[in-house]
Amino acid sequence: MQYDGTMDELGVSLTRGTLDLLILKALSWGPRHGYAVAEWIERATGQALLVGEGTLYPALHRLERHRLVSSEWGLSESNRHAKFYRLSAAGRQRLLTGTSAWQRFVGAADRALRATAPLPS
Amino acid sequence: MRRPFRLGRPERDVDDELAFHIAERERALIAAGEEPGRARSRALERFGDLSRVRAECLTIDRDRDRARRWGAVAGSLRQDAGYGLRRLRRQPGFTLIVLLIIAIGIGTNTAIFSLIDALLLRPLPVPHPEQLVAVGDPRQTASLSLGLPQASLLSYPVFADLRDQTRTLRGVYASGYAQRLDVVRGRGGDVTHPRGRFVSGSFFTVLGVPAFVGRTFTAAEDRTPGGDPVVVLSYGYWARAFAADRGVIGGTLSVNGVPLTIVGVAPPDFAGDVIGQASDLWIPVMMQPSLMPHTPWLSDRSVSWLLVMGRLAPGVSLAAARTELTALVARSLLEHATATDHDAIEHMLRAHATPVGSGARGFSYYRDAYRTALLTLMAAVGLVLLVVCANVANLLLARAVAQVREISVRMAIGAGRWRLVQLALTESLLLAVGGAALGLAVAVLGSRALLRMGTGVTLAAGLDGRVLAFTAALSLGTAILVGTLPAFRGTRLALATALRTQGRSVSGPSLVLGRYLVVAQVALSMTLVVGAGMLARSTIHLAHADVGVARDNLLIATIDAQRAGYTGPRLLALMRDLTGRALAVPGVAAATLSEDGLFNGRYAGTTVQIGGFSARADSDTTVAEDAVGPGYFHAVGAHILRGRDIDAHDNETAPRVAVVNASFAHFFFPRGDALGQHVLADSATWEIVGIVADIRQNGIRDAPARRLYVPIFQATEGVSEFRVVVRAEGDPARLTAAVQGALSAPDPSVAVLDVEPLDSLIGSTIQGDRLVATMVSLFGVLALVLAALGLYGVTAYTTVRRTAEFGLRLALGAAPAAVARMVLREAALLTGLGIAIGLTVALAAAHLVEAQLYGIGLFDPPSVGLAIVVLGLSGTLAACLPASRAMRIAPLDAIHTE
Repeated sequence: MQYDGTMDELGVSLTRGTLDLLILKALSWGPRHGYAVAEWIERATGQALLVGEGTLYPALHRLERHRLVSSEWGLSESNRHAKFYRLSAAGRQRLLTGTSAWQRFVGAADRALRATAPLPS
Repeated sequence: MRRPFRLGRPERDVDDELAFHIAERERALIAAGEEPGRARSRALERFGDLSRVRAECLTIDRDRDRARRWGAVAGSLRQDAGYGLRRLRRQPGFTLIVLLIIAIGIGTNTAIFSLIDALLLRPLPVPHPEQLVAVGDPRQTASLSLGLPQASLLSYPVFADLRDQTRTLRGVYASGYAQRLDVVRGRGGDVTHPRGRFVSGSFFTVLGVPAFVGRTFTAAEDRTPGGDPVVVLSYGYWARAFAADRGVIGGTLSVNGVPLTIVGVAPPDFAGDVIGQASDLWIPVMMQPSLMPHTPWLSDRSVSWLLVMGRLAPGVSLAAARTELTALVARSLLEHATATDHDAIEHMLRAHATPVGSGARGFSYYRDAYRTALLTLMAAVGLVLLVVCANVANLLLARAVAQVREISVRMAIGAGRWRLVQLALTESLLLAVGGAALGLAVAVLGSRALLRMGTGVTLAAGLDGRVLAFTAALSLGTAILVGTLPAFRGTRLALATALRTQGRSVSGPSLVLGRYLVVAQVALSMTLVVGAGMLARSTIHLAHADVGVARDNLLIATIDAQRAGYTGPRLLALMRDLTGRALAVPGVAAATLSEDGLFNGRYAGTTVQIGGFSARADSDTTVAEDAVGPGYFHAVGAHILRGRDIDAHDNETAPRVAVVNASFAHFFFPRGDALGQHVLADSATWEIVGIVADIRQNGIRDAPARRLYVPIFQATEGVSEFRVVVRAEGDPARLTAAVQGALSAPDPSVAVLDVEPLDSLIGSTIQGDRLVATMVSLFGVLALVLAALGLYGVTAYTTVRRTAEFGLRLALGAAPAAVARMVLREAALLTGLGIAIGLTVALAAAHLVEAQLYGIGLFDPPSVGLAIVVLGLSGTLAACLPASRAMRIAPLDAIHTE
């Protein structure tokens, strides 16, 4: 397996699930093309999560394969042909369940990481 | 404008998408103040590994496309099947009739094919059957030859030589028919006669068949004659006779009075190495002398009774094994040949070397005997299936026509024609598969019933993979045959209707295609009915053929005196005594003796030397032989052509004499001077004292062999079994009990077996013919009924369609009879055309069943005439109802319908 730049194994697997959620979130306001999704994530996260913008595309295609998003060709703001992704009903559902699961996970992991004693009392 | 998602071109999609991203980024960077020359490389840098991303996206997209394609196919199939099922359920009567018709067609085909599979195709249920090599004539599964050692059937000493010397086989066993076994279970139990085989100790290990319960034989059982009184049961026999009780292992079974320990049971699917004659039990060949006293078959080279099977050593070809094995048998036979036999054996080996072939399908007498019969039946049921297809196609066609409105509405709302064809084909596939499922039940019952019809064949004709594949292929073919025409025809009609704004209401389109299908049905039925007629007439000829004796008056009793210890002069005295007692039975006109009897499958042969005769072929000196009692030819009602019968003076001390049949006399003495000549045979010289007309010995179809009859009291070979032949004044069957009683009277220990009229013995040799004729007739009737129904359907439809026309004619003063004639004329045209085509096909194909025919030519006017009458009558009957309906059309109603 190849790792990207400074990311270690833990980082990659954390990012995969999180990236999927961020993409779904990016699309929750309406159809966007890949570039717009990348821009949104970059701005929304302060460039903390995307190592290379390219990693976004396999994630998008995988979501499409699993019918969480659908795609259509259309014209971009700059009047060029671009592939637009749209959130499907299943995708919207996944965004909801994924977000709450992610929040539970982060909260639990955060509490655990802040622990000061060897065993919680 | 939005373009729809492009299925199946992922490269272009991915490239366009990624290029757009890079271009957008490049523009953004320039807008943010980046140098235009460097913007592109910065954009690529931010993107990361472009080629890896592209490859990853492509993999995902291809996977997506594949899944969607299958999803689409499965989805539309599911949809079509659901639609088809709903449609079929809406018309339960129609569906049921079609299902039943298809079930009959596919069921009969599957039944016959399952028999063909079991008898002709299926390998033995053992590991690697392809490695097995059969030595000897695989048809001689129950043969016994005394006298000159044979090459096609081996004696035990020859088998032992083969076993010890072969290098091409890595395991070899011998198996031979155990003759009649008297089996008693427990004290005072009933005597039963299961079918058993003597096998060498390596039988189960060479075949690779493990014990189901207990153990099988080992090499130890091959060492000492009489040393291992054990028996292995077949699963079937164990289940039948012992209710599959595991407790019988270790128990004993009395076989021919010798207690044998049951050591094991063979697995359920293994019925032995003989296909068509399932074995009930296997006994070590070393036990043969104990079970059959006075018959030293283990040491006697003149007793040929064993077939041999071996497994090829690794890397050895069948051809190499054949070369070695034929040479080994020849050497063994010649090394031990007596001086008188040596030349005869050399002759025999030159003419027929030992057969060595693949043993994958085991040995089988019935495989050869029933091959033609089964293939004839397969052809017949194939024709039935074609009639079924034409019939169902016609029904579907009629319905498609009736539903033309519904279809045209569907087309009007945008359903493509292909889509509708697909719908129709899915429906016919549903019908075919449903019919096939029902047909499997028909097949299982049918093949069992066929086997039960007393042909003597015991087969495990079940539904194995091959049979199921055959059925699946048949149902697919049926679906295509019955579905295609109606589907295209229906949609074309609908297309025409949709284009026309006003469809005509009652008349509907003509059924040209339907008429072709009816002609096809009539033609196929005609072929079958002609065939059935020819086979039935052959069977009648067979059943009443002249066999050269008074076949309706003879009763033949088989006597086994050897087991009771009769040999030499005591045996001859017993023969004389029994003949006298039989003659004393009221109603008996004559009684005599014969060693081999008639029509029981026994054959005895010998080689002759005749002064002045020089053989051109090695087989020229081989003749058939029988030893007969005084007055034999008179008693059986044969015609003495010249000279005299064997008489009471031709006894042990008198000069040796012989009677020969006409074939013998003509062959060896073409100048007609056979009487008084001398024949050297069986190490003795015989003077010909009579010539008798040829008598059929075993098969009505077999050309009579050259036969030598010697007096039974002068026979040089030991007689073990003999027959008392009785001629009755009336029906011989009525004397059965009296003759049985008279023959059993002097010594109850002498077994009197099979007291049977000759006519029924002959009947059992033509049972296969009778069965085939009956079955083909049955199939012919089936096809006939279907064809008549088809004709009825088309005629009735046409009549309804022409209601207006007929009404008009009637209104204009036409006689009702004239209208009926019009209907009948059209039906007669279709029937006549079908009959003509069917007759042509039947005549062209007659030679295919030539082997099944007897006493009639390839063109048999009575069969053809009968078929024409039957078909013509059926056609008229089928047309009568619609014709009478046409006569009763009320002119006004008819005009209103237009």
